[in-house]
Amino acid sequence: MNKKQRMFLRMVLASLLRRRSRMIVALLAIVVGATILSGLGLIYYDVPRQMSAQFRSYGANVILTPSDDSYMNSISIKNAVSVFPSDKLEGYTPYRYENSKLNNLPVTLAGTDFSSVLKTSPYWHISGDLPDGNGKTLVGKKLAEKFGLTVGDGFSMLNSFQITDNTDTSALPDYEIYTDPKTGEKFCDHTLDLKVSGILETGGSEEDYIYVTLDDLSDLMLSERGCDIVEVSVAAREDELKSYLDEINKRSDTLSAKPVKRVTASESTVLSKLESLVLIVTAVVLALTMICVATTMMAVIAERRREIGLRKALGALDSSIVIEFLSEGLVLGAAGGIIGSVLGYLFADAVSMNVFSSSITFRPLLIPVAIIASVTVTGLACLIPIRSAVDVDPALVLKGE
Amino acid sequence: MFFRMITGAFRRQWKKMLMIALTVALGASIATAMLNVMLDVGDKINEELKAYGSNITVVPNSQAVMSDLYAVEETETKDEFLKEETLGEFLTIFWANNITDFAPVLDTSVNVNGNDIQLIGTWFDHHFEFKKKGTVYQRDTGIINLRSWWDITDGKWMDEAKLSGDQYAMTGRKTADMLGVSAGDRITVKSSKGTEELEIVGIFESGDDEEDCIFTTLSVAQRLSGAEGKYKKAEVSAITSPDDELAVKAAKNPDLLSGDEYDLWYCTAYVSSICFQIQEAIPEASARAVRQIADSEGKILEKTELLMALITLMSLIGATLGISNLVTSSVMERSAELALMKAVGAKNGQITFLVLTEIVLTSILGAAAGYFMGYAFAQVIGQSVFSSAIEMSGMAAFLVMVLIIAVTLVGSIPAVRMILRLRPSEVLHGGH
Repeated sequence: MNKKQRMFLRMVLASLLRRRSRMIVALLAIVVGATILSGLGLIYYDVPRQMSAQFRSYGANVILTPSDDSYMNSISIKNAVSVFPSDKLEGYTPYRYENSKLNNLPVTLAGTDFSSVLKTSPYWHISGDLPDGNGKTLVGKKLAEKFGLTVGDGFSMLNSFQITDNTDTSALPDYEIYTDPKTGEKFCDHTLDLKVSGILETGGSEEDYIYVTLDDLSDLMLSERGCDIVEVSVAAREDELKSYLDEINKRSDTLSAKPVKRVTASESTVLSKLESLVLIVTAVVLALTMICVATTMMAVIAERRREIGLRKALGALDSSIVIEFLSEGLVLGAAGGIIGSVLGYLFADAVSMNVFSSSITFRPLLIPVAIIASVTVTGLACLIPIRSAVDVDPALVLKGE
Repeated sequence: MFFRMITGAFRRQWKKMLMIALTVALGASIATAMLNVMLDVGDKINEELKAYGSNITVVPNSQAVMSDLYAVEETETKDEFLKEETLGEFLTIFWANNITDFAPVLDTSVNVNGNDIQLIGTWFDHHFEFKKKGTVYQRDTGIINLRSWWDITDGKWMDEAKLSGDQYAMTGRKTADMLGVSAGDRITVKSSKGTEELEIVGIFESGDDEEDCIFTTLSVAQRLSGAEGKYKKAEVSAITSPDDELAVKAAKNPDLLSGDEYDLWYCTAYVSSICFQIQEAIPEASARAVRQIADSEGKILEKTELLMALITLMSLIGATLGISNLVTSSVMERSAELALMKAVGAKNGQITFLVLTEIVLTSILGAAAGYFMGYAFAQVIGQSVFSSAIEMSGMAAFLVMVLIIAVTLVGSIPAVRMILRLRPSEVLHGGH
């Protein structure tokens, strides 16, 4: 028994080693098939994640607003945002809006955090620089045209307080209080000097605002209050996002989280198309490649009809011939599967680096899948020609008919 | 004699030839399907991205606003309008066919049962006709395609053609709740210029500020704001090419481009060139790219195209390796036959020519069959993913043919040469 097994092993190995050129042809075919299988498989599994990150260029897909007439403070914002997993959270930007005056004309001032603003609004076109600290400002293009402001210009914003009997004047000791001659109302003026560090172009309503830091805005308004709105950008699909938002709304009673429907709904429309595109392309290419592998294997085996006939003439059993050929095929299939999954991973990673500039997530499961698939295809492809060769009378095969 | 040998080979070895043809056909069908899908995917995804709404807004020229501002200082900014006739100009520009949808917008504030509400007049699903210089331009357009994310929770989308008159409205969920109305109800809308009775056709959820508004037909809004024949802003959705260096350069100042660059820029569907053409057609308007939509579109398109190109490349490499592999092995298999030919006195050149003719003929037949299979696969992909046909490009067909013939030659020539280098006696003896 032992001897028989050794002989079997030797026959399989010798056949693989001696008939090198044929075996290389067969192995190459399997490797190509397995490479395409594991490469496209990896890409298919990773595309939704990678593409979802690309869709963040549309900016914020969640907004937080106060649930009542109050404002959101930084603690409740941090609490809410902590619901999102940190690897999915692209960034969040608070906004506080106030009315103020420039050259005696009313303008809207927006206080924000410039360090995160490009994460939630990556589409902002800024000529000049993003402000890097207090005293610097980003001016919307329309306003800049209206007031003739360019990068580097200085201007000052004016905030006129109306002072009523309830106003706590101790908070503004240094300001001169004056009375409007027409109405008799009392006012005091507070100004803030700003330097234009950039002009903002978006094609949207942002161009009508002047953006300053939250500190500067508190300084001008002489009051620190929370934010009106927080924009959040999260790399998550519509349904996943919904579960996070439900969690936030359950946890917090001071603020409510809402999806930006325009972004989330459209994203899932487009992304699902993209996914099914990659899926069906993968399926078509895989099916064709596997048939291609099978035909090559069949050609390689069919070539050995003469050998099969000779063995049969020497008295080999049909079953032993089938088993031997099949084992050869399986060894080739397994080897091709392993090499193919490594090459496929390398290829998928190269694609991912080129397209998305991030490496692909390795999925160990694809290795056994690639091996099993190549072994199955090779096995099936071997079986058909061997069976037909085995069924034929050895004399005919040897004669070459 | 040559012809007889070739036909003889096909007749006698048809099984082997069929195997080669089949493999070539499979490879060619992968190449055909992938190349065509790749070349068309940009347009298809671009159409899908229209779900995000308009990527261009057209507003009255800011110069006009400025002069107005300084003339009437300290008062409220006076509203600026564009004339309704100018809407037709969108259909006359060079890239008019790339403009998929557009809608005018006229907003005014109104009062309903004591609540101040923003009222927006626009086109919903509007049949628009425009005559200019004897040509009639037609388009069905409106915000139905520019607000793909609206959920109609009650009633339905307004269908302007089916309704008689214009006194209809759609309201946001929030407004409907505030007013306590549902689809089919009537509301009385008052403004300083008049009063209108509107029937609510549908109620929508949009997840943004528009839920606080009432949407109605343009003509109602014009009467309520006293701006007959005018609109404030137009939303335009156009299929554009992603910005590249030329587009960035042009966006700064088109006058700085050289003549050739200018022509190339003008005749490419960049968002900046479409904006420029709209401004040319309507001098009193200023067309602006909505950066959020236009920039992201470019990015997504670029990524998708690159991804598809690389997947195509991978499939092409796979297909060509598969074909050349099989061709090589089938030539090697015939070593005895080739050696015999050489032994009876055939010249190397003659044998090579004979073998190549056989194989290339087989490949061409296979490739032709593969092209039609690939066409079918491409259409399956197009229909199942985008519900529209994939446009077959002549370039792809040519490329596949050239590729297949090249691969067949590359796969067979080295094998033939290798066999011919050996001495016939060795090959015939079976020693190698």
